[in-house]
Amino acid sequence: MKKILYAIFFLVIFCPPAAAGKTGDVEILLKEKIDKVLLVLRDKKIDKVKRNKNILEIVDPIFDFELMAKLSLGKKHWPGLNGNERNEYLELFIKRMKESYLEKLDLYEDEDMLYDEPKAVGSKVHMKTYLASKDNKLEMLYKFYQSGNSWKVYDVEIEGVSIIQTYRSQFDGVLRDGTVQDLIAKLKRPGEFNGIEVKK
Amino acid sequence: MKITKSSTIILLIAFFIAFSAINLMANVREGNSLMIKIAIDSYQSGTELPIEDSSGGELFEDFEDEFGEPASSDIFDPLSGYNRLMTTFNDKLYFWLVKPVAKGYKFVVPEGGRQSVNRFFKNLSFPVRFVNNALQLKFKAAGIELSRFCINSTVGIVGFWDPAKSWLALEDYPEDFGQTLGYYGVGGGFHIVLPVLGPSNLRDSISLIPDYFLEPVSLVEPDLDELAVTSYDKLNFTSLNIGKYESIKRDAVDLYPFLRDAYKQNRKKKIEE
Repeated sequence: MKKILYAIFFLVIFCPPAAAGKTGDVEILLKEKIDKVLLVLRDKKIDKVKRNKNILEIVDPIFDFELMAKLSLGKKHWPGLNGNERNEYLELFIKRMKESYLEKLDLYEDEDMLYDEPKAVGSKVHMKTYLASKDNKLEMLYKFYQSGNSWKVYDVEIEGVSIIQTYRSQFDGVLRDGTVQDLIAKLKRPGEFNGIEVKK
Repeated sequence: MKITKSSTIILLIAFFIAFSAINLMANVREGNSLMIKIAIDSYQSGTELPIEDSSGGELFEDFEDEFGEPASSDIFDPLSGYNRLMTTFNDKLYFWLVKPVAKGYKFVVPEGGRQSVNRFFKNLSFPVRFVNNALQLKFKAAGIELSRFCINSTVGIVGFWDPAKSWLALEDYPEDFGQTLGYYGVGGGFHIVLPVLGPSNLRDSISLIPDYFLEPVSLVEPDLDELAVTSYDKLNFTSLNIGKYESIKRDAVDLYPFLRDAYKQNRKKKIEE
């Protein structure tokens, strides 16, 4: 009797949630977050600094920025960084990602958000969303993995272009010809924005 | 005279048949997507173990397969010197000439007008999409493109409006000859940055030639007028997309390899679609 009880106990505790739960969780989570972000974006009265702060508070829990940073260096380069370099790199990369995300939101012009059903891909869940204006449709794919009890984004593909993938090949290029310090220096400059370019 | 009349009638009948066929297919398409929606989510998660420690070694293994080796390590890029130069050139061209002009134009012409002009040019390049869809045996898409062209050229007043999309929900299916070649397994070849046009590769650069002859604008004579028309199209397009390039560029640590890689991934997706 005891054995059976134990068995049931273990089943209940360790059984992964049913299939519907997996993609369903992601769908509910992402839709909720995007709805909240849109609500803030559509509020024209709010000033930009506050707006950005609010948006980051909404999305921060579902973006695993640290993992993104590590994946962008990959198994090939991440283990080669020492403690200080790791901290500095993480801080710079995460700041950059957040800034880049917020800046993309500036381009938002009351487009509609459309969703596809999320798809399970191995242990991950991919969910396609579309930013649809009258003449245009921009596809954004959010890739989630399970982190403990919650789902977190580890990559975003915009029209098939993976953010992590582009960082990986850029960083690999920099580190092939230069050092970690070169990479950190490159991350420190304010991006190649508005034609401001610092050439070697 | 008689011949032209009868051929007009035949053409009308052909259009009529095409329309009814398209309507049928559009219905089928809707049905399909519903089926897919229902069918999706049959995955069982029984065998997966949750990832616990985000600094653990296994974690990397789990993702490393997905991203593979960094693309830059073994990339064949014989033109990299020229490509870098041309990337800088195009970048300067955009910021110093195209963008200021487009901004001025944007200030003068209201957005609705610019969108109409954009739709007009898009409608005009219908042969490119139609032929390339057909070449890839995507007959349904080709049919939808044909009906879009018929509807938008007539009801949509030579393409300035898009009733096919707004009333009948017929989306467009952009395809070009580079995608057609890709569909039949032709690889991209090395990367080439074209002046003004930007990132491309060997396959897609050569593919511009057949596509060019499918563009009705190529019939405009003399060549100088044709250039003016094309430039206007591009200027109008730019005025509707100011800020996009800047935003993309923001993600670049090193602009040239970034654009090269992004182009490659984007083309891969388009070919697979």
